Amino acid sequence: MSLSSKEAAESLAQAEQARRRSAQLYSYSRTAPHLILWGSIWVVGYTQSDLLPKYEGWVWIALIVIGVITGAIIGRCSTRRPHGPYAWRMFAVAALAIFFVFSTYAMMWPLHGGAAAAFPALITGTLYTGIGLWAGLRYVVAGIVVIAATMGGYFFIHEHLLLWMAFVGGGSMILAGLWFRTV
Amino acid sequence: MEQPDAIIHQPVRLKIMAALRPLPQNDPIEFVRLKALVNATEGNLGAHITTLEEAGYVSVEKDFVAKRPRTRIALTRQGRRAFEDYLDYLRGIIDAAAS
Repeated sequence: MSLSSKEAAESLAQAEQARRRSAQLYSYSRTAPHLILWGSIWVVGYTQSDLLPKYEGWVWIALIVIGVITGAIIGRCSTRRPHGPYAWRMFAVAALAIFFVFSTYAMMWPLHGGAAAAFPALITGTLYTGIGLWAGLRYVVAGIVVIAATMGGYFFIHEHLLLWMAFVGGGSMILAGLWFRTV
Repeated sequence: MEQPDAIIHQPVRLKIMAALRPLPQNDPIEFVRLKALVNATEGNLGAHITTLEEAGYVSVEKDFVAKRPRTRIALTRQGRRAFEDYLDYLRGIIDAAAS
């Protein structure tokens, strides 16, 4: 059996298409639990900020610590490589994002409540959209939904922005995570 | 390689090998996900995976999760090497035709 160059090119194209789709779905499946985790944290955190604003600083610190540690554990458990780089990279990405948000708060201080609540969500949506330009359409869709929810809430839903962020922002993240798990 | 690897060259098996290739060495893919990826029926995919397993190109693990059976497939080291050789063979044909 010998192949013509046309047949060889067709086989290579088929292989490349299957490889690309598989890599993309693998990336989605690895991201899904983190989206669900942080979506849930948003639901709890923003709801608490609306209902009991007195304790919101402490609650958010606790939630962020829980999120970072759980994210690292998910990273470690989702691969069989015992010393793989995935877990510490997830930890580093989360730490970097938190550092960026709080550094910006410090530089822009004083912020009014709405801006402080919306900014992390806006960063998250922007990051996902940017990552999606390389990693796949689902990231772009998830990012744009989070950006749209954040901007819409910030400019049009002043009074209930925190509840909006909890259920529309956090809910969108959870739904995106469930979508990322599908083939 | 004078001839293409007949085991990999079959279109569904080519898709299976290509879909397994980007996954990390020890991260298997679930049968149901692979089925959707290569767009094959359950029986068809099962038969092709058996062929690849017999050739030593993939490893198959079966276990139970919440009392439900789960089958996972991964590329073996030998399979990864064979697939790279197959891709080199295809590229060689294209390069030879172009020169």
